[in-house]
Amino acid sequence: MAAAELGAHPMFAGRGMWLPLAVLALGGCAALGLSLAVGSASVAPEMLWAVLRGEGDALSRTLVLELRLPRSLSAFAVGGLLAVAGALMQVLLRNPLADPYVLGLSGGASVGALAAMLAGLGGAVITGSAFAGAFASTLLVFGLAHGTGSWTPSRLLLTGVVVAAGWGAVITLMLALSPAERLPGMLYWLMGDLSYSRTPWPPLALLLVICLLLMPLGRSLNVMARGPLQAAALGVKVRPLEWGIYLAASALTAMAVTTAGSIGFVGLVVPHMLRLVLGNDQRLILPACALAGGTLLVLADTLARTMIAPEQLPVGVITALLGVPTFLYLLYRSR
Amino acid sequence: MSRLEIRDLVIDVPGRVDGRALSLSLEPGQMWGVLGPNGAGKTTLLHTLAGLRAPRRGGVLLDSRPLAVLGRRQVARALGLVFQERHDGFPATVRETALIGRHPWLSPWQMEGGEDLRLAEEALERLDVDHLAERLVSTLSGGERQRLAIATLLTQAPQIWLADEPTNHLDLHHQTAVMALLAGQAAEGKVVMMCLHDLNLAARWCDHLLLLYPDGEACWGPRDAMLVPGALERLYGQRLATAEVDGAPVFVPVR
Amino acid sequence: MAMIISAPAVLPLSASTLGGRRLLGRLAGLALALFPWWGASAQADPVCVVDDRDREVCLAAPASRIATLSPGATELTWAAGGGDRVVAVVSYSDYPPEAREVTSVGSHTRVDLETLVSLEPDLVIGWVTGNPIEQLETIEALGVPVFYIEPRSVDSVATTIERLARLAGSEAQGDAVAAEFRAAMAALADEYADAEPVATFYQVWDEPLMSVNDEHLIGEVVRLCGGVNVFGELSRLVPRIDDEAVLAADPEVIVAGGMGEENRHWLTHWQQYPGLAAVERDNLFFVPPSLIQRPTPRLLEGSRILCEKLEVARGRR
Repeated sequence: MAAAELGAHPMFAGRGMWLPLAVLALGGCAALGLSLAVGSASVAPEMLWAVLRGEGDALSRTLVLELRLPRSLSAFAVGGLLAVAGALMQVLLRNPLADPYVLGLSGGASVGALAAMLAGLGGAVITGSAFAGAFASTLLVFGLAHGTGSWTPSRLLLTGVVVAAGWGAVITLMLALSPAERLPGMLYWLMGDLSYSRTPWPPLALLLVICLLLMPLGRSLNVMARGPLQAAALGVKVRPLEWGIYLAASALTAMAVTTAGSIGFVGLVVPHMLRLVLGNDQRLILPACALAGGTLLVLADTLARTMIAPEQLPVGVITALLGVPTFLYLLYRSR
Repeated sequence: MSRLEIRDLVIDVPGRVDGRALSLSLEPGQMWGVLGPNGAGKTTLLHTLAGLRAPRRGGVLLDSRPLAVLGRRQVARALGLVFQERHDGFPATVRETALIGRHPWLSPWQMEGGEDLRLAEEALERLDVDHLAERLVSTLSGGERQRLAIATLLTQAPQIWLADEPTNHLDLHHQTAVMALLAGQAAEGKVVMMCLHDLNLAARWCDHLLLLYPDGEACWGPRDAMLVPGALERLYGQRLATAEVDGAPVFVPVR
Repeated sequence: MAMIISAPAVLPLSASTLGGRRLLGRLAGLALALFPWWGASAQADPVCVVDDRDREVCLAAPASRIATLSPGATELTWAAGGGDRVVAVVSYSDYPPEAREVTSVGSHTRVDLETLVSLEPDLVIGWVTGNPIEQLETIEALGVPVFYIEPRSVDSVATTIERLARLAGSEAQGDAVAAEFRAAMAALADEYADAEPVATFYQVWDEPLMSVNDEHLIGEVVRLCGGVNVFGELSRLVPRIDDEAVLAADPEVIVAGGMGEENRHWLTHWQQYPGLAAVERDNLFFVPPSLIQRPTPRLLEGSRILCEKLEVARGRR
């Protein structure tokens, strides 16, 4: 009941809006701090402090600043991207089961990336190709769902699910036909893991830009959640807004997938957890998703790389292990 | 004060011939009732008048300007709807729901302020749902939701009210209260148009009627000219007995 | 000069424990400190070797702390005489037995970079198609040179050993091992040069059923033993096939590797087809996969076993 009462708390007039965001931001900083402090190699607290002040020995500096920091920032960015994309997809489709991958984005990105790998290309080309694949998938799904008439969420969802299944088949076909020496690289890419991510700056920048762009749209999104007719009657330009949400969610997902492969669960569950606790005002939920999704993935990745070190676990396992009980608990408490 | 002018309008009901084009003007202070059997296009008409659906032919002018050239936000400030169907897939409280009526009045960066909140609270009180303000919409009864929808429109405060079955799910007391509220709005100089199933409510509260026949035929005019038993029997394909109670005609279907 | 620096490698106490290796490392450091001209001449004489990504990898001095990121790389580095300089290995680095004592930095698919970096290697031996390229690039970005290997043929086993020996400063031992391997393989080839051809199917995996083509290392060994790989012409290095393809090819010999040792059920599977020539003549043979599927000097032993099996098959004609 406590969660339901909290959920019933109105967020109008900005009152009570900054407190949850401040708490989440603090949590995010704590998670980032933890991720810098622990690892399979040990760095003493005073050494960590020295490194953060710009001192410390070379090895500790390398460990903290060149290995842990970029990886943690990548994790934060990817978690935030996925959670925001999931929240957007759920509003767009008015379906609580929607997640960032439901419309075949990760499939499109994977096919793009694998095609680049098959062609023997590397590095930035793979990223670019994955991005192109995700966007091709976006346009394909939205275009097909439009068809000759108007589209409905269920039609969009169905189109997306079928296109995703199509990508799945293409991926399997590519894996079956690709030469053995290219196979491991392709499989790593599909697994979804932060140990292969490179620089954290592009995903962080995109997360920030999209969150800023979405801020003035928050109230329109609230209205959209009541259905397109009601939204239009309240003065929302529904079609452009839907395109905007869809493109934003696609960009976020494409960036997340190209940074760290397909990491499940974050995009589905983080928005729901927050809605259970904070209500459904998108002006609060979207920035909260960015912070909470990032925090969850930073924690999950920290566990993934330390739990049975030196062996490294795939981060998706941990996100599910952390998220499932938390989510079920909140759901159980809510009614 | 606003007026809505309907010019040679043919609504787009799939698979139906054009029938008679509608040409009428909804003037401030008028309270229109739209009557017709299921599938006659009552809801389609309201959505077309609000610019949510394209007409097959003709057009709608809001204060002499075609709806099609006005922005959605501009339209929403002048004209509001109560829908028959409502989506509440995501949890929202009663107060939050009433507050979305302020959407067309706020700029993108603006948060709802004290004045908006006051309007919403007042509307909830008028509709007798203020004690539910903190409840989730999904936990309300059908009648409570209906009153909330009208409270939301009251918060939106448009000059033109279009209501699709505003008395659905309401008990007798609340039916009367809602009709009195709508009549009050008309008396203040607003335009009110509503679709009704209940012939007797229309006869009691509306001053103008629009009869929509399933084949696309239509007729409209002041209430008394429209309440001809023969025309109504043809409209519903149902024999009616007529009586007069409390100064208004009452129609009862005959077995 | 580099040879002299490799002195600890030829010390009689071949280190088998971590502590021992650290001691040796310190001894080497001490030697360098005591005889500065060795170090000076090593610096003046950098070691440059081309790796299997065709990049020239240069070290100012032979590596003294080597991380080998695949079981094969570990084995080859040991063969090259650099075993006592290996400070990091990955899971399944089980040969030679001493390799099991070295600190593991995770699996070859997901290397624990923190543990690796804190071991402060001065050379990392990467596996072109086995390690994630992003991780190897990160290692290089941290200033640790990476030498990529991808031995795919009998000859490349030898050249890889020679190149690793150069990097580890143990040319004497490495060159000797490589030469011995080459000579022994050549002798084996000679022995079977005129042997009767034997139609052979080599089964790499059972579900899905997989074989190798002629370009594969195993295909090369089959050919060397006088065998004719029935799937040698297929375009993929490790083609995926089905029972029908095997029945149609009707090999005279079926050789299975398998996971772990003596995976008999891979072979018994074929006994449901008594019409197969290989089944009829009982030519179903097992070759320990670690001896033939890893591109290391142990390939010689595996090749000998395979050649003997084919010879047995010839005897059953």
